[in-house]
Amino acid sequence: MNGFSRSPAALAAGLSFFAAGTAFAADEVPRKAEACIVCHGMGGNATDPAMPSLAGQPAQSISMQLFMFRESNRKDPQMSPMASSLSNADMNELAAYFAKQKPASPSHRTAPENAAEGRRLAEQHHCVQCHGPALLGLQHIPRLAGQQPAYLKTQLRAFKARTRSDFDGTMTSAAQLLSEKDIDVLADYLSGLGAP
Amino acid sequence: MSPASFRRLVSLAASVLAGALTAAAVQAQAPAAAPSWQQGRSAEQDKSTLHPFAIEVTGKGAKLLPIDKLKVPAGFKVEVWAEGAPGARSMSLGDKGTVFVGTRQLKDVYAIVDRGGKREVKVLLKGLESPNGIVFSKGTLYVAEHHRITRYDGIEGSLDNPPAAKVVIDGLDPQNQPGHFWKFLALGPDGKLYYNVGSPGNIVMPSYFQASISRVDPKSGITETYVQGVRNSVGFDWHPKTKELWFTNHARDWLGDDSPNDTLHRVAKKGTHFGYPYCHQGDTLDPEFGKNRSCKEFTPPTLKLGAHVAPIGMRFYTGKMFPAEYQNNIFIALRGSWNRTIKQGYNVTRVSFDANGKPKMEPFLTGFLQDEKADPPMWGRPADVMVMRDGSLLVSDDHNGIIYRVSYAGK
Repeated sequence: MNGFSRSPAALAAGLSFFAAGTAFAADEVPRKAEACIVCHGMGGNATDPAMPSLAGQPAQSISMQLFMFRESNRKDPQMSPMASSLSNADMNELAAYFAKQKPASPSHRTAPENAAEGRRLAEQHHCVQCHGPALLGLQHIPRLAGQQPAYLKTQLRAFKARTRSDFDGTMTSAAQLLSEKDIDVLADYLSGLGAP
Repeated sequence: MSPASFRRLVSLAASVLAGALTAAAVQAQAPAAAPSWQQGRSAEQDKSTLHPFAIEVTGKGAKLLPIDKLKVPAGFKVEVWAEGAPGARSMSLGDKGTVFVGTRQLKDVYAIVDRGGKREVKVLLKGLESPNGIVFSKGTLYVAEHHRITRYDGIEGSLDNPPAAKVVIDGLDPQNQPGHFWKFLALGPDGKLYYNVGSPGNIVMPSYFQASISRVDPKSGITETYVQGVRNSVGFDWHPKTKELWFTNHARDWLGDDSPNDTLHRVAKKGTHFGYPYCHQGDTLDPEFGKNRSCKEFTPPTLKLGAHVAPIGMRFYTGKMFPAEYQNNIFIALRGSWNRTIKQGYNVTRVSFDANGKPKMEPFLTGFLQDEKADPPMWGRPADVMVMRDGSLLVSDDHNGIIYRVSYAGK
């Protein structure tokens, strides 16, 4: 339940689109990343609210999640098969590519009533301590600022339900005392955050 | 980390949270239950940004790393010996020259073989539970996982088709707990396998078999607690002359930048208690568990190594390559620190002894620590050391999955 909503048909259509070699500047995208951007968006900037953006994520956070999908610690009907054939070197290459891409300005607009409340929750629940004061992530800890809102909600609910893998238990523990409303407010707040 | 490890973390969280959630029903704003690395944090430390560093689970190639920053004393040389072994930690040497390598956060054990000067890294065993402890003896590879110790007989003749595991002892983690349950493993001069069972959290009362170094006779499977009050030892070796066990120990976190020290210990007799959780570094009572106790009840360390430096592997130097004064010195891999605002450690330290046996420590292999105030402060983390037959010293770096070799060429 990781919130990937694209149908296999749409995925296949996207793949053939890139395989056909259109006007798209294919030389700037490593071949290995072509399949990723079908869902994760050009340069890793997702447009589907359920799909995580990869642009500007810390490289280690990307390689670690790919690794967890491949090793079946984290499961998803689309990502698990995608990661199953990737070598460590592939994962490092993909991670380096997406980490270098510039995150787009968030298309999501935080509801005015959630801006201060979202920040308060992010501090109260210690999000800022690991993800950083501007929620930009570091090392294996992902960037939350500007992340797609539906994706954030799905992940927080999965951590709370203890169905999403967790490197060291930190997120599972942190999510337990979030209410459903807290999750909605946090996702709304985080998704609207741009570069500081 | 294996699925079972994740389940364990989750079940930990569940057990910790069972109480917290009951309380939460009464008090809506109860704090979130902490993961084990945060356990023992004071209220003032609640906003601390200090955190453990995760390894590069997919490994990192040497060409992406500032290897030229590594420094060794004059006359010594350091080079990359093998790479592409993500999470490489404990090392053991086979009779035919195979270097066996265990991992803590992955599920693999590697076998590294020399093919005409080039090293080939094979994934020898897969799907194990935190197989940190490994030791080779008389044709057999012993592997210590989270919960059991197994043996693989005739391993060097079957690196591409290893035999099935035979269990030496199981049930080493009956409560399936979080905390320090990855194991170091070594074979004593008495033919018994020695292993640690760490403490189940940062600072908690251990059960009767925890916070100990224990031993098991591989023939009978009979176990004994050897020493107690050891919060977490992930490295030990026997003195080449006295045959006494020496070990490194990680002290508790969240008592500040400079206290307590991680430590080096000598075991003069079985049954010794080294203080945890009551007394740290031989002279500092724990603010909670130290009440009504005295440090005089416990055996102090031989040497304080620095606060939070995380000493992992240690070996006595018995090779013939390094200068004579290195004979029977101890090399210790310092993998930390993280629980300190200004970072220190991240080197291989040499401990030598004067004529009266007084220890002295000095950095031997440095350069992993780049910026003591940065997050992360380091680009690599020494995890274990091993003396090769030619007298060179291998150093594993589990952060990148690299093994370095330090050799001595003379003046």
